[in-house]
Amino acid sequence: MSNIELIDIKKNYLGTEVVKGISVTIEQGEFAVIVGPSGCGKSTLLRMIAGLEDISSGELRIGGKVMNHVSPDQREIAMVFQSYALYPHMTVEENIGFALTLKKVDKAEIKQRVKEAAEMLELEHLLQRKPAALSGGQRQRVAIGRAIVKRPKVILFDEPLSNLDAKLRVQMRTELMRLHREFGSTVVYVTHDQVEAMTMAQKIIVLHNGYVSQLGKPMQLYREPENTFVAQFIGVPKMNLLRGKLQGSNFYLQSGQVVDIGNGFTSGNDLQLGIRPEHLKLQATGAQGGWTVDVVERLGVESFVHLHNATMEQLVVRVEGDCELAADMQVNLQIDAASCYLFDDKGQRLLRKPVIEQAAG
Amino acid sequence: MVAVVRSSFEDVTVTHHASQRRAYLTLVLISLFCMMPFFWVVLAAFDPKASQFLQIPQGVTLDHFKNIFANESGMRWVLNSVVIVGSATILTLIFAGFGGYALSRTQAWWKRPLLYGIILVRIVPPPALIVPVYKVMLFLNDWVNGLINQFTADVEQQQMLSRMFSFIDGYLGLILIHCAMQLPLAIWIMKTFFDAIPKDYEEAAALDGASQWQTVRHVLLPLALPGFAAAGLFAFINAWGDFLMPLMFTSSPELQTLPLGMFRAFLRVDAIDYGFLTALAVIYTLPAVIAFAFARKFLTQTFSGGVKG
Ligand SMILES: Nc1ncnc2c1ncn2[C@@H]1O[C@H](COP(=O)(O)OP(=O)(O)OP(=O)(O)O)[C@@H](O)[C@H]1O
Ligand SMILES: [Mg+2]
Repeated sequence: MSNIELIDIKKNYLGTEVVKGISVTIEQGEFAVIVGPSGCGKSTLLRMIAGLEDISSGELRIGGKVMNHVSPDQREIAMVFQSYALYPHMTVEENIGFALTLKKVDKAEIKQRVKEAAEMLELEHLLQRKPAALSGGQRQRVAIGRAIVKRPKVILFDEPLSNLDAKLRVQMRTELMRLHREFGSTVVYVTHDQVEAMTMAQKIIVLHNGYVSQLGKPMQLYREPENTFVAQFIGVPKMNLLRGKLQGSNFYLQSGQVVDIGNGFTSGNDLQLGIRPEHLKLQATGAQGGWTVDVVERLGVESFVHLHNATMEQLVVRVEGDCELAADMQVNLQIDAASCYLFDDKGQRLLRKPVIEQAAG
Repeated sequence: MVAVVRSSFEDVTVTHHASQRRAYLTLVLISLFCMMPFFWVVLAAFDPKASQFLQIPQGVTLDHFKNIFANESGMRWVLNSVVIVGSATILTLIFAGFGGYALSRTQAWWKRPLLYGIILVRIVPPPALIVPVYKVMLFLNDWVNGLINQFTADVEQQQMLSRMFSFIDGYLGLILIHCAMQLPLAIWIMKTFFDAIPKDYEEAAALDGASQWQTVRHVLLPLALPGFAAAGLFAFINAWGDFLMPLMFTSSPELQTLPLGMFRAFLRVDAIDYGFLTALAVIYTLPAVIAFAFARKFLTQTFSGGVKG
């Protein structure tokens, strides 16, 4: 048993609260990703799990045992640091085997296990090198090797891929997922990159200002964001938000344009309409469409069209492949009512009444 | 046209070379002048007819060295110096290691004031410290000798213990004084050095299951080795060259250190024996050079690449 339970965990730094009461359970063998913008307390939370930082209040349990006052070397946790923290005076082999050497494991066995880890990470030919003579990606793999060689029940990662170039990052993502499948350790992975979170996680925990904003499976967060923060954080480009008021099924933008968002919402003022770029369709018109093209970003597979209207509200639309638009052209939007989200002025999601859904179905 | 341009260009390079050559020549002359005394010391030490003038020796002899060890208590001076300065250096390194680490890692408000306080101690010229330090040492000395007298009634044993542990005219006192004098600089060097070692290494070690002592032994000490080499070298060379403290705090001939022995030999009223003095000077210089050569190996050792960028 090595699930991780956080019960109302808080952290104060000299009076300022950084982590403000987090209660989460991470199941045994789960790949959990903590994601959030810079400074939201991700590293702090992870370091509290590792035991490198005191817990100001709340309870931390690993495998059912309270760990608040257990020192890091007793927790049987491995951690991959953002800075790698490879011991510069030791060779790769010594670095990976260090934890086993400390445990006084038999020399031959250490050699064997280091070799296995090195093979898995394709590091065999580098075992006698010092960290200074390795590339960033190689150092990264040594750091991972050092973590897995102990066969820990829990592995913590603090933004392990943030120093790698884009291509290597994609490669390491699949590598890490494969390792996780093979080892079955519980993984807590911190990142500010929502793509990493979406692709790797079994459970995403979105942190915002020291609170859990929402947690759940990746697609669940994508489909059912509970607030504008999660709605905009998950998905690239981020969800479009437009302010306005709702009367019946008509949402009036500040520019006076009207969007039919379907039935089921309660009318009101000061609301926000959320719609993902991939759910918008363009209708190129010669006539007045109400939306003017700002920029077109062409990525090959897809293009992102940035638009604005008379009151300078911004929108992004995703288009398959290329499109024949240029700046200052006028376009019309086709909005699918079913894929519209509604949020109140504080950013909380408003739901459709279920009665209407029955009527519709 | 082209030719003219080229020739004037060559002129420039020629004068450039010439001026450089003049500069080198001047530098060589100056360094020769500066090194003259050292040449003289080395030559005279092996010269059977050493005099106060720089001269090419008529032959090579080791008589002066033999004289130091056979007729005088040369061995005793060397041993005293090595034991006292060596112990003081080791003690300094131990304290500076702990102190420097603590001062590097703490965030306490008194960190800065304390650091500047420490360096202030170093700024005070040592002679200004003699009277207060002597007073303190005298007090401690009485206390220690009281203890020794209680411990044993045998006069010979008392004398032996007193030589070891006395604060005045004893090994312990001299070692502690040297250590105290060298500690400020050593602490600063170590503090600065630990500042440059990221805390990540210690945290990684803790997560690898290392106890505090294992972290120190396997991670901090190896990483701090160049710092210890630098601090140790400065401490050793400064203490080795110190003349004032042995002069103030020792009186019995058994405790004389090399600089004191040399000084007293120089003061003798009968004719000055230049061969003897220069040989002593060579012996006196040697350990400092050895210490430097030894430390250099570690000083140039740099550890990098453990953490990113
Ligand atoms: N030792 C400290 N003393 C005071 N405040 C701290 C300390 N460490 C972190 N903080 C503060 O706590 C907050 C959270 O820091 P943390 O390092 O957890 O952020 P993060 O989410 O990991 O950000 P990033 O993505 O930039 O790494 C920040 O506002 C930071 O300023
Ligand atoms: Mg961080």
